[in-house]
Amino acid sequence: MFREAEEGAIQSDAYIDALLSGHARLPVPLPASMNAPAPNVRHVIRLLERGMPRFHPSFLFEERLAEQLRALAAQGGQTSPAVIVDRRLVMGGAIASGFSIAGAAMWAWRRRPRPEARHD
Amino acid sequence: MTRPTKRVGLGVTDKLRPVLRRGKDRASVLVNLDVDRSAVEAARRDPRAFEALYRKYVAQVYNFALYELRDQHAAEDLTAQVFMRALAGLRHFREQAQAPDSSFRVWLFQIARNALSNERRRVRRHPDAPLDAALELPAADDVQATAILRDELRQALRAIDGLPADRRRALVLRFVNELNTREIGLVLGRSEGATRVLIHRSLQSVARQLGRGRSTQPRHAAERRRAAN
Repeated sequence: MFREAEEGAIQSDAYIDALLSGHARLPVPLPASMNAPAPNVRHVIRLLERGMPRFHPSFLFEERLAEQLRALAAQGGQTSPAVIVDRRLVMGGAIASGFSIAGAAMWAWRRRPRPEARHD
Repeated sequence: MTRPTKRVGLGVTDKLRPVLRRGKDRASVLVNLDVDRSAVEAARRDPRAFEALYRKYVAQVYNFALYELRDQHAAEDLTAQVFMRALAGLRHFREQAQAPDSSFRVWLFQIARNALSNERRRVRRHPDAPLDAALELPAADDVQATAILRDELRQALRAIDGLPADRRRALVLRFVNELNTREIGLVLGRSEGATRVLIHRSLQSVARQLGRGRSTQPRHAAERRRAAN
């Protein structure tokens, strides 16, 4: 059972390789019909090979990440938590700094010189 | 915004330079090296040289993340994590592949797979968007054949969406990233043979979903031989 599956798998694999090699402009002859996978599998292979979309990240993202990698490389490749791009960290940092500022303001307000404590 | 790209054979067009080395028996042996060896060595010497590897593989890692997470921002975050970790951990990377494979590319996808697992543990849910709706399929024009292809592709993507994670990833790595079965096996932690069968069964499963489950012709060579006898 597994051996039969393996035989079919080898045929499918060779067929996919032959199609994908076409992208690299290195045409490889497709397997002869006797060695090709079953027509239903062949159809799906052709469909996915032709149709599965590929994307490129946005230019802005790519350049921003390149810049961050350059900054990290300038530190010798040693990662620091501040460099890692993570929106959760950015949000967490913003919230934390908001609390810090509020805390500092509260502390300063409570330590302010009071009129009755002044020694003139 | 995500830009659809043309098929350019990512990573497949790299030409290899065979290197002449002396073996233990003093005989000259022709050894093909990992396609990324020189770039990895340069990046180890000077981390600024890592940019070449980043430019080469950023789209592939992004595609893998987008197919898994179905969200542009989440895919960007994961891509950023992968390259940051790769640069930080480059000294731990050990080359294992021979041409035409790239063990560096396999290593990147292994990092991506681990990062995805961590993300899944954190979120604990499957992405909401179905695969066919999340990805922008090529715009249909007035050619009927294209419209049929588009509909069939949509059905195929739905079928892929319903596959277990390893099968889905294997198909994406094979058709979108153009990794070979050996490389996919290394990413998924399976043997080459098991990966080949995994992909074949996934294709059969998609064929069944498309209503092409059973072919009128015998399916395997063994059956063909039996039929011939």
